[in-house]
Amino acid sequence: MRRLLSIPLALTLSLTASAVLAEPVSGGKLDLIVQPEPPSVMLGMITNGPAILVGGNITEGLLRYDEKLNPEPSLAKSWTVSEDGLTYTFKLEEGVKWHDGKPMTAADVLFSANDYLLKMQPRHRNLMSHVESVTAPDDYTIVFKLKEPFEAFIRGLAFYTMPIIPKHIYEGTDYTTNPANEKPIGTGPYKLAEWKRGSYIKLVKNEDYYIPGKPYIDELYYHVIPDGASRAVAFETGNVAVLPGGSVENFDIPRLAELPNSCITEKGWEYFAPLSWMWLNNRTAPMDNPKFRQAIMYAMDREFAKDVIWNGYGKVSTGPISSKIPFYSDTGASYPYDPAKAKALLEEIGYDGKPLRLLPLPYGETWQRWAEAVKQNLAQVGIPVEIESTDVAGWNQKTSQWDYDIAFTYLYQNGDPAIGVGRNYKSSQISKGNPFNNVEGYSNPEVDKLFEEAAIAFPASKRQELYNEVQAKLRQDVPVAWLLELSFPTIYNCKVENLVSTASGLPNSIRDAWIKP
Amino acid sequence: MPRFIVGRLARAALILLVITIANFCLIHAAPGDPAAVMAGEAGDADPEFLEQLRQRFGLDKPFHVQLWVYVSHVARLDLGFSYRQQLPVLDLILDRLPATLLLSMSAFAVSLALGVLAGALAAARQGRFSDTLISLFALIFYATPLFWLALMAVLLFSIQLGWLPGFGYESVGAGYVGFARALDIAHHLVLPAMTLGLFFMAVYVRMTRASMLEVSQMDFVKTAKAKGLRPGVIQRRHVLRNALLPVVTLAGLQAGQLVGGAVLIETVFAWPGIGRLMFEALSQRDYNLLLGVFVVSAAMVLLFNLITDVLYRFVDPRIRVTS
Amino acid sequence: MTDFWKRFSKHRGAVAGLLILFAIILLAVLAPVLFPTSPWAMVQRPFMPPFQNGEFFLGTDTMGRNLASGVAHGAYISLLVGLVSTVVSLMIGIPIGAIAGYFGGFVDDALMRFTELFQSVPSFALAVVLVAIFQPSITSIVIAIAIVSWPPVARLLRGEVMSLKSRDFVDAAILSGQKPATVIMRQILPNTLSPIIVLASMMVAAAILVESALSFMGLGDANIMSWGYIIGAGRTVIRQAWWVSFFPGVLILLTVLALNLVGEGLNDALNPRLSRKGK
Repeated sequence: MRRLLSIPLALTLSLTASAVLAEPVSGGKLDLIVQPEPPSVMLGMITNGPAILVGGNITEGLLRYDEKLNPEPSLAKSWTVSEDGLTYTFKLEEGVKWHDGKPMTAADVLFSANDYLLKMQPRHRNLMSHVESVTAPDDYTIVFKLKEPFEAFIRGLAFYTMPIIPKHIYEGTDYTTNPANEKPIGTGPYKLAEWKRGSYIKLVKNEDYYIPGKPYIDELYYHVIPDGASRAVAFETGNVAVLPGGSVENFDIPRLAELPNSCITEKGWEYFAPLSWMWLNNRTAPMDNPKFRQAIMYAMDREFAKDVIWNGYGKVSTGPISSKIPFYSDTGASYPYDPAKAKALLEEIGYDGKPLRLLPLPYGETWQRWAEAVKQNLAQVGIPVEIESTDVAGWNQKTSQWDYDIAFTYLYQNGDPAIGVGRNYKSSQISKGNPFNNVEGYSNPEVDKLFEEAAIAFPASKRQELYNEVQAKLRQDVPVAWLLELSFPTIYNCKVENLVSTASGLPNSIRDAWIKP
Repeated sequence: MPRFIVGRLARAALILLVITIANFCLIHAAPGDPAAVMAGEAGDADPEFLEQLRQRFGLDKPFHVQLWVYVSHVARLDLGFSYRQQLPVLDLILDRLPATLLLSMSAFAVSLALGVLAGALAAARQGRFSDTLISLFALIFYATPLFWLALMAVLLFSIQLGWLPGFGYESVGAGYVGFARALDIAHHLVLPAMTLGLFFMAVYVRMTRASMLEVSQMDFVKTAKAKGLRPGVIQRRHVLRNALLPVVTLAGLQAGQLVGGAVLIETVFAWPGIGRLMFEALSQRDYNLLLGVFVVSAAMVLLFNLITDVLYRFVDPRIRVTS
Repeated sequence: MTDFWKRFSKHRGAVAGLLILFAIILLAVLAPVLFPTSPWAMVQRPFMPPFQNGEFFLGTDTMGRNLASGVAHGAYISLLVGLVSTVVSLMIGIPIGAIAGYFGGFVDDALMRFTELFQSVPSFALAVVLVAIFQPSITSIVIAIAIVSWPPVARLLRGEVMSLKSRDFVDAAILSGQKPATVIMRQILPNTLSPIIVLASMMVAAAILVESALSFMGLGDANIMSWGYIIGAGRTVIRQAWWVSFFPGVLILLTVLALNLVGEGLNDALNPRLSRKGK
């Protein structure tokens, strides 16, 4: 089984060798997959994966991030942070125009941050809870004053965490019914040209883009093909040149990657850093016992899951923070596959063999197989598990209403533990009706305090110390059963150069990509 | 006749109303709602966000109010907006309907043509080896799981032999227009239409065969034989013609069912039709869209039934249509 | 009874069907003996092709589970679902059809309109919606199949009852003061048994097909390895491992074919007057 491991590795290596820099060429069209079809590509309104994938070319944020999550200029050409870490001053790029020709200024940023996003996006409301005020001293300067130092702030300004929305279109209208939602107006390198529902979304080059010469590619087609096997065939036949991560079933990845002219990269997911785990309902026995939760960790063969179910892609997770984002550390208890240890722990706590319900993630065959494997793993150590089948709506309902014993999930870490990790473990985040907060019901005042302090500690080295401590604590307590740091490789035709150049991957890299003639 | 049609239309409308109400209740009994699904996909939510969505969709109103709003809209032929796609439901359905109709009608034509032909052949060679063979083949296609037959067809004709495209409605991004596009679509149509057609064919084979054998026992056929007409002429002119009546009736009933019954084939072949639309709407809890698909496909079934009944009366005035 | 067998065995297809059916029932019953390990157990390397290893002669699936074991255990599930859902739909269809046929008039009209309701929605689509709404489990699947498949039973029974009602022995029973319920139960229903048995055998076949199709759509009970589930799970890897989808499909085909053949034989044997001409 382990032999599967070598294929992706070899591929990645061969790739880095072939990436030779050359002079970009303009022109051509690029065919991609978007799966499933997004409900809308207006990023102010909706920020699910497919919407981001397409909308990221239309709407921009103040900053972009490189693969180490260092900020890079986008709509903000430069910025300074005051020494106390409280004042962030951004200089905006001048001469940026909205797709309708109107100039983009600080007024639009103010409107987005203070009004539109505050009303429309929960993520933004969260970020703004650290912000005292946003002001615009002149047309091209914007100043964020923070309540306390919040170092993560600089990583919260991406195109989808704080998309800049045109004030002249939205001010004074009903944001949800504004006709511009159908054809969003942004500042991005591409404009929405045509959307044939159920078939494709066509974007065309923004000729007035503020960076001369960019973007290079003239047209982007995002094809909607509902069936996974069909998407694979579309790539094989050359009808589609780019398969964004997650477009095909895992079992197809090695086969597609071996095709001539086929390139593969795991880059472009550093910002999202998807981490999968199982919610363990800490409120009910036996999951209320840390030893039982540790037993579950020992019982699972996560290497097998990675090699067989995920075809060798991904990394076995060590704890609450993904190794791809800042402040990760490998300290504290670790849980290799050890059924004997799991059995011993169960024996120790006198587990009575009470059957548990397992809720798989209803996102296709891979997740279904994974649940089946976990069920077998748990059965082996004497934990009988019944899989509850449900669909996406049912899954949301059950997890957000805490009606589960064990439930699969995976969440994005969004660039910083203060943004994407703390929410899952702090007791202040226990509230029904939301499947992304502290769903497991774990409550530990020490952990609460550490997360609070780490978020607002300054400078970064101070944060690192606190996060080390909290990671060790959580790894001991196992509030949830961490599975894998997921990897969703992008498969593409090698004639496309420089496809992925940021930490958020395809959605906001295409302006730099070009097609070899 | 007009009174008959008006009566039937009134009854169909009543049935449609009950179906609408029943389905409305059924769908709202499902766990979760469209707001929860959309929040789930966004990867982030707070109670305020969910509340906003529910307000936007009108899901914050009491159940009976929602029901009344929906039914009164449908009565005015307004199927409402899709929550998720933010487009009128009717537009979305009309967008997908041609693909489903094309598939169903082709499959229907295939099954009827092949079925009647094979059935007539079997009847003519009654009791001989070829009769048994035809009947057995028909039965095998009838007994094969539709989706499995489809998969195996893809495996053989599309993957192994590479003759036919195994999925989709047309070549994506190929940019064909006019005749080239029609040809391209026809090429894609072959596998799904054949698989669906072969399944329904079995029914027509059996029916045609049985019906022909029954008719050939009748007096007028015996008379024709006694007159010394050639057997081929008798089979075509006298037997087949009369034997087709029940087959046509069944066909009329089937045609209605075909509209919504192609979910499986549409899934396997990624055919962008009504069936897929329904399945997607179901998993996204897009209530209006799902209900819309149900109302439209039920209306189709009722319409086809009505047409069949009317035709039947027309063809054979002796028959009094009761139920 | 000997008459019955004589007529049944004349239908060669029916005899073959019966033999196949017996073989499959045997497989279902003996599955726990032949394959004592759970069909879910990951016992070998994934994607092992068939006919290479005696113990895993049908090969393994994506996770290294024994396909032969899955197929054997699946036989039990498929037959069980087919039988139970048929019984449930008979329990809905028979009373409705009998009451409609016996009382006629307004009652008949109302019940037939009710039946029509269920026939106006494409049946597989309705089954999909029902299972999705009540969440996939073996119970919801059985109930959904029953709900979409009872109308033909009601229609058949209504017709039978209507024609039986005008017969002398029924009139005699009514005149002797028996209550309608007694007349239906004692006099009429026993005489409708043969067409019901024939229809039921075909319904079991249809139910097996519907269950497999539901599982294929991802609406199966995830704790139960049915044939439809195996095909659905194998579908995404059909290019790497054709055998995973192939073998369970063949078994469904054989089972459904056998049930239909037996149904035809029963029809010939039980209703000699209506038997298919020409055989």
